[in-house]
Amino acid sequence: MAEDTWKNYKEKKHSKPSPLKGIRVLEVCTLVLGPSGPGILSRMGAEVIKCEMPPLGDTLRSMVPFGYFFREQSTSFFRPNPNKHYLGLDLHKPEGQEIFRELAARVDIIEENQRPGVMERWNVGYRQIKEINPSIIYISKTGFGQWGQYAEENRPSNDGAAQGMSGYAWMSSFPGQPPLKSRLYVCDSYGALMGEVAVLAALHYRDRTGKGQFIELSQSENIMRTMSWVWPYQHITGKGAMPAGNRDVSICPADTFRCADDTFLALAAPAPEEFKGLCIAMGMPELADDPRFEDHLIRLQEENAVEILRIIAGWVRTKTPEEVEVLAGKHGFVASRINSIKDVVENQHFRERGFVTEVDDPLVGQFLDYEFPVMMSKTPPRVHWTIRPVGFDNEYIMTHRLGKSEDEIRRLYESGALGKWADVRGRRPPSDWDGKAGLIMARD
Amino acid sequence: MAEIEDQAWDKWIRERDDPKIASTRPEALDDITVLDLSSNSFAGCYCSSMLSEFGAEVLRVESPEGDFIRTCTPYGMLYKGEGLNYLSEGRNKFHITLDLEKPQAREILKGLAAQADVLIETYKPGTMEGWGIGYEALEKINPRLIFASITAHGQFGPVSHPWMPDYDNIIQARSANQYDSGEMLPEGMSYAERPWAVPTKAGPWIGSVHAGTFMAAGILAALHWRAMTGEGQALDVSSIESYASMEDWAAIWYQGAGVVSERFGSLNTGGWLYCFAPTKDGAVFLGGLRLEMWQAFADMVGKWDEWGAASWKDMAPFSEKEQQLKWADLVFAETRKYTNEELIAMSVEYTKKGRLAPITPVVAPVCCPEETMHDENWLDRGIFTPIKDPVYGELVIAQAQYKMTETPIRIKWVCRPVGYDNEHIYLKYMGFGPRKLQELKAARII
Repeated sequence: MAEDTWKNYKEKKHSKPSPLKGIRVLEVCTLVLGPSGPGILSRMGAEVIKCEMPPLGDTLRSMVPFGYFFREQSTSFFRPNPNKHYLGLDLHKPEGQEIFRELAARVDIIEENQRPGVMERWNVGYRQIKEINPSIIYISKTGFGQWGQYAEENRPSNDGAAQGMSGYAWMSSFPGQPPLKSRLYVCDSYGALMGEVAVLAALHYRDRTGKGQFIELSQSENIMRTMSWVWPYQHITGKGAMPAGNRDVSICPADTFRCADDTFLALAAPAPEEFKGLCIAMGMPELADDPRFEDHLIRLQEENAVEILRIIAGWVRTKTPEEVEVLAGKHGFVASRINSIKDVVENQHFRERGFVTEVDDPLVGQFLDYEFPVMMSKTPPRVHWTIRPVGFDNEYIMTHRLGKSEDEIRRLYESGALGKWADVRGRRPPSDWDGKAGLIMARD
Repeated sequence: MAEIEDQAWDKWIRERDDPKIASTRPEALDDITVLDLSSNSFAGCYCSSMLSEFGAEVLRVESPEGDFIRTCTPYGMLYKGEGLNYLSEGRNKFHITLDLEKPQAREILKGLAAQADVLIETYKPGTMEGWGIGYEALEKINPRLIFASITAHGQFGPVSHPWMPDYDNIIQARSANQYDSGEMLPEGMSYAERPWAVPTKAGPWIGSVHAGTFMAAGILAALHWRAMTGEGQALDVSSIESYASMEDWAAIWYQGAGVVSERFGSLNTGGWLYCFAPTKDGAVFLGGLRLEMWQAFADMVGKWDEWGAASWKDMAPFSEKEQQLKWADLVFAETRKYTNEELIAMSVEYTKKGRLAPITPVVAPVCCPEETMHDENWLDRGIFTPIKDPVYGELVIAQAQYKMTETPIRIKWVCRPVGYDNEHIYLKYMGFGPRKLQELKAARII
């Protein structure tokens, strides 16, 4: 039984190998779209070196909810950046570029999200790196890709720009209301994930053939890929797709409803048995045989959908979310209150599965993180350690990875090629740091 | 140091990764066979699409009456008999039928699994085991098999067995990502007056998409592990966990400060300047997360002196809620004076001639998808290139989301009706000729 496969999964996680053991990655990434990709690989056991421009490093180190820093670190910086080694390297300096090239010759994957052409100006573009490492897998993630009108205009981009330009935000709004931006950096986070699908497919190809390649990903294009029916609908009908608020126009019924206590509940019951169960739960079993609602395709038609949703809304308005959830379990449809972050972090199921996982970090201390959400029976992904200040692992990388001598390292600091954090919140270690905790090459 | 070829980077790379030449290049996964058993699961279909785009031979296994997911289509609209969401995710897949309720069908499935690299399934946990085709049974037949399960709550844990069907709006609701998306309800107003100022889910099936894409990444990592060791394994995705994991700061904020993230409209709890702003003819996105970019915005709209931008030292005075609301009012009063096009032109102009040039704020139009689909930039980049399909005719579905020099993705066909490929696939994998197939059809096994 599958019980044996998954028995004690959480407890045994750290006693098993990682799927990407031995894979080496170099990133020149900022904000969310860039670093989240290597953050996926590092959770699966790849050794990731994160290059940041000293002394300020990644802009994400400044981005925190309403000014709140977690233990003096950027609250937003944790999720994309666990298990990495932190290198403070100035790629404007020839000495910094040379160090990068030495590292690049020994890695499998390079990830970057600078504007098009910037890496090449630093002599570390794909064309330059493939000369010294022909099997390199090199991914560039930007707003508009590497070519085309917007790339040529050198337009800057952000997740919010991609939400706007793709039509994603527009489709995620209420009809007649201004378009709504998702509170997630969804084009970034999802774009990073999508990028890793390409990187891992390229790795499979390299495992077979030894050949590397260049990959480009656009923040907007990746999210357009998720908008399934919108494009064939527009092509076939010649009409623009319309937003529908919380109603799912492809699944009926599926919507968010207001309960008696003014909280909200999501409900779905499209399949025949589910819909029948809902009608029974509502005390209106006859609706299941109503010609307007009987068949899913007919029920989805605008008039019918509006009518059944109106009926359900009236019913839910008299119930608490708990009452509907219980009825859903009993009658075989789905209903769920709208969970807040508290509900997710404290959820016992997620904790017992080890999705919500406790990290015991020498620098930042104990805290809860989310594990990579693919449980792998033989090679579990996991978080070992979390974020570090800019340039925190310089000595480790220079000595262990590149075999540099003390004198060479000193000269790299003198030239400004290597650097460490600025004395700024989000960049420096916590104020109670003893000067050693978390350092791999700590000195007495 | 290696010499760069004379050709400009954008031209050089386009010659090598333009989707127009994709069909001339090799495919990354054309050595892989995938069995997609997903049942009423968009996540499963999307997952196998991620692999079929790279050339994997995906055998999409449906019950003889066809998967319910085919009926999940906007407004009940069918095109040549097919739902539009399914049309988008049938790409490059072979469609066969098999009634797994029947014991003989499960023996056939074992034969297919013995020859497959990956199996995707989305049944209620325990269902596959009950049929004798769970991971532990199939692993004995094929130790190299990667057995991938996608469900709402996963294969283990306290609530994995009470069954919850896996619909996108439920994933969004349970992940905490709907809770804090949406317009704020103004103080003193009720939901009856502002029915849109509520927790708001994303329109696209983003919850399902996350589950499918995470599983695709997991499958590919497992394929790499298998290349190293020869071993297959079981993979478990909970779609709710998948989408929950995309949240960036709320969980850390909650455990550190006890604050529950709430709705903040189209502003950004995570920092300023980062919002949608109303304009004369619509809305734009404004981005200026670094101080200089925010200063450049102030300068661009002629408020450098009045707002005292020269004296700003860092972003701290703009990050808290009340400050963001105050500044949003001031900023929106300016953006309302211009059209989208004017504001974008101003930012492009500022890159060249502004006081802080080349620094400029991000200004981007908020488009409806009709505008997106006709934008020359995306058309040029091959996202909406029409495909001529032998069954469905000319269609537009999103494609080419990554460009690659060696193994680009491609679409060979859009979709297939139920059981369309039974003859070819059962002959190829199981040696069933026309007579045997007829028998199995008559017995309603296929």
